[in-house]
Amino acid sequence: MTELSFANVSITYRSASTRGDVTAVSDISLDLPTGATLGIAGESGSGKSTLIMSALRLLPKSTTIDGQVRLGGKDIRDLSFGEIRAVRWAQASIVFQGALHSLNPVREVGGQIIEALEHHAKDAWMTPAKRRDRMFELLEEVDLDQSKAVSYPHELSGGQKQRIMIAMALACEPDIIIADEPTTALDVIVQKQILEGMARLVGERGISLLMISHDLAVLSAVCENLAIMRHGKLVEYGPSDQVCLAPEEDYTKQLANAFPQIGDAESRMNPRTLKPAEVRRAQPYEMTDEVVLEAKNLSVSFDTRQGRERAVRGVDLALHKAEILAVVGQSGSGKTTLARSLLGLQEVDAGSQLDFAGTALPRKAKALRAFRRQVQMILQDPSGSLNPKRSVYEAVVEGLRVQKITDDEYARVIGALEAAELTPAADYLESIPQELSGGQRQRVVIAGALALDPQVLIADEPVASLDASVRGEILSLFLALKKNLGMSALIITHDLGLAWNIADTVAVMKKGEIVEYGDVDTVLSDPQHAYTQELLAAVPRLGSQSLVNNG
Amino acid sequence: MSNTNPSASTPSGSAAEANARVIDGTRLVRDRRLNNVKKNWSLFRSDIAAMLGAIVLVFFILIAIFAPLIAPASMLDVTQQLDVPRYAPPSLAHPLGTDDLGRELWVRILWGARVSILVGVAATVMSMVIGTVMGLAAGHFSGLFGAVVMRIIDFFIVLPSLLLAIVLSSVLERGVFTIVVAIGLTSWASTARIVRSQTLSVESRLYIERARILGAGHRHILFKHMLPAVMPLVLANTTLTVGSAIIAESTLSFLGLGDTSKESWGTILKNSMDISAATSGYWWYVLTPGIAIVLVVLAFTMVGRALEAIINPALRNR
Repeated sequence: MTELSFANVSITYRSASTRGDVTAVSDISLDLPTGATLGIAGESGSGKSTLIMSALRLLPKSTTIDGQVRLGGKDIRDLSFGEIRAVRWAQASIVFQGALHSLNPVREVGGQIIEALEHHAKDAWMTPAKRRDRMFELLEEVDLDQSKAVSYPHELSGGQKQRIMIAMALACEPDIIIADEPTTALDVIVQKQILEGMARLVGERGISLLMISHDLAVLSAVCENLAIMRHGKLVEYGPSDQVCLAPEEDYTKQLANAFPQIGDAESRMNPRTLKPAEVRRAQPYEMTDEVVLEAKNLSVSFDTRQGRERAVRGVDLALHKAEILAVVGQSGSGKTTLARSLLGLQEVDAGSQLDFAGTALPRKAKALRAFRRQVQMILQDPSGSLNPKRSVYEAVVEGLRVQKITDDEYARVIGALEAAELTPAADYLESIPQELSGGQRQRVVIAGALALDPQVLIADEPVASLDASVRGEILSLFLALKKNLGMSALIITHDLGLAWNIADTVAVMKKGEIVEYGDVDTVLSDPQHAYTQELLAAVPRLGSQSLVNNG
Repeated sequence: MSNTNPSASTPSGSAAEANARVIDGTRLVRDRRLNNVKKNWSLFRSDIAAMLGAIVLVFFILIAIFAPLIAPASMLDVTQQLDVPRYAPPSLAHPLGTDDLGRELWVRILWGARVSILVGVAATVMSMVIGTVMGLAAGHFSGLFGAVVMRIIDFFIVLPSLLLAIVLSSVLERGVFTIVVAIGLTSWASTARIVRSQTLSVESRLYIERARILGAGHRHILFKHMLPAVMPLVLANTTLTVGSAIIAESTLSFLGLGDTSKESWGTILKNSMDISAATSGYWWYVLTPGIAIVLVVLAFTMVGRALEAIINPALRNR
């Protein structure tokens, strides 16, 4: 069998730009014995991906590696190109981060699995017919129907694509599987299925698993040992339960705390962060009975190739003043469509009723523009929501110019940026999006919405693409906006922990319908609907290797 | 009274401050853009081929502008060249040789540059404006309107452009303006296609959706987001198109469809062919206008390529 070990590994990217050489990994020693499972956790930029890519010599030529990376006792630098090719996939394989981008969009997925088998033809799959059988066998192993073999990637869901990636990784019976954020883009239920599947395969076949993620809870669900990385250095290493539940280093504590424990009274209405947003009012706003935005019997249908599909079915929803309402559901449950129709961006079916402050939603362009002043939306991806060529000032001022608000332009921009806790605001005005971090970009997007003084903020997965520590900051900002300005917010998320952290009420959506709707404390502590219970059970919890033991 | 004065002056003071700040906001934006221009200029300067091209262009534009000063129009008058030898090969007395009527070729090139470059630039501007407007419209508006615009673009793409230009210039009144219209009307379709594809890709970005959420209408999205996004592409395309427009002008003049009363490089080529200069050994008669065309077209292309690389850094080192 094969074991993988890193001994005093340092990796440097040589760069001709002004940044000079960048050390991505410094002095890391880790061992992955045969049949073991190891998780590496760290935020973006911690060097975890660089480290695992070095195991198969997949780094670009501009990198220098010091120390030894040993695979099955051999230093991988001593292997010839032919030998390293034989090692890749046959001994160690990788499940890449974005399944969407790692599959060839113009080939059937079955053929892509066979491709790996062709490159490493062994006795068991010498002939094309045998390779075909092996491919079907693999699909079965990852719980996919054989008919999926002739599908193209775009015809599969995110979870199914990730399963295809895992089937590919298993194809040549490797000894080691390296998984790079295998579940990041997936919702909790699919994430649970994928993790369970991986844990089962690892357990049954004695495969070693090296998994990296920014999510401590996901790692602790599958891995025996955990390593925490920060700025390219190893911060803490030890058995999973110990690292998660009794961390020694401050940084590990911070990472472990960043994840909400549903039911934990301390994190209710209190997202953990080192930089909480300030509550300035002596008597912060509280949720009231005054209804701001209301939907009655809201339905939305799309014409698809399969016929008319109802994305949202008869939803009743009421958002009160100074209320934070979380709409929770899996991807494809119609949450985003619901949000877009609340904003008048989406045509709704006849019979649906949408009211803002007691009057029906306008349909004419001019009235809609005035309405948009009151109800603003924050889109999923902060990097994409900002025009890369325009500065922070231009991004924030855009809404004012569109709405033809001309007085005190500068003061309004500064005020909005400060309300979004981007201080000192004047320092950021000239920056363009690429000069900002993910969290800062999200603050700029929020400031752009706040500049219009809206009464309602609708946010679509506002923290899904952000690191754990930034997540807490942004959530605490939402809470502060409610308390300081009395703003109502409707937050769309697949993360029940987010609801526990900041929301007053929660609506659970499944296939376009709201299956459970009520006070967060009640719904999350005592879920009535089976689907809510399933969602809650799928949330990974720190420590205990829950999935492995149950699976 | 002494109390009211300071309190009265405070708000006016802060108002003045706020005013100064209002200017600040827009100035910040302007400064940043100016800096970008400076950065791009230094990138452009570091490209040797582009600088060579720019120098050649500036040279030809200068001689075109100052042609009447350098060589008075009388030097083109055949009746005043009776003492000049015909078909004189290049020498010190006749730097680029003379033609069948005893005119100096360098004077004809000088005057020809005026029409050739003017027509090239004007036709390109026309084609770019039509192409950008049609491309933006086809990309931004979905549904029937966009589809109709797209079919119009397709119609112009499939038409053989030289043929259309020949028809147009023979139907319309002879003149420089006719040539500009003929070339401009036939060369915009490919620009429209490029602009449309860029528009489509920008259209799907989240920041367009964000602008809609902020309440923006078509005008805001088209002029604040789309136009700036396609402009660099259009500019780079412009310099490349000027070259082909100059060639098109020469082609039309060569075929005798240009303004015969005005000098142009194409006209010189046509005259040289009329007297079979190439087979009679009067090589300078053919080569001089030919090389002038090649130089200017090459210069525009080199500048255009450098601009393209500045807009799209991935093209560098290719």
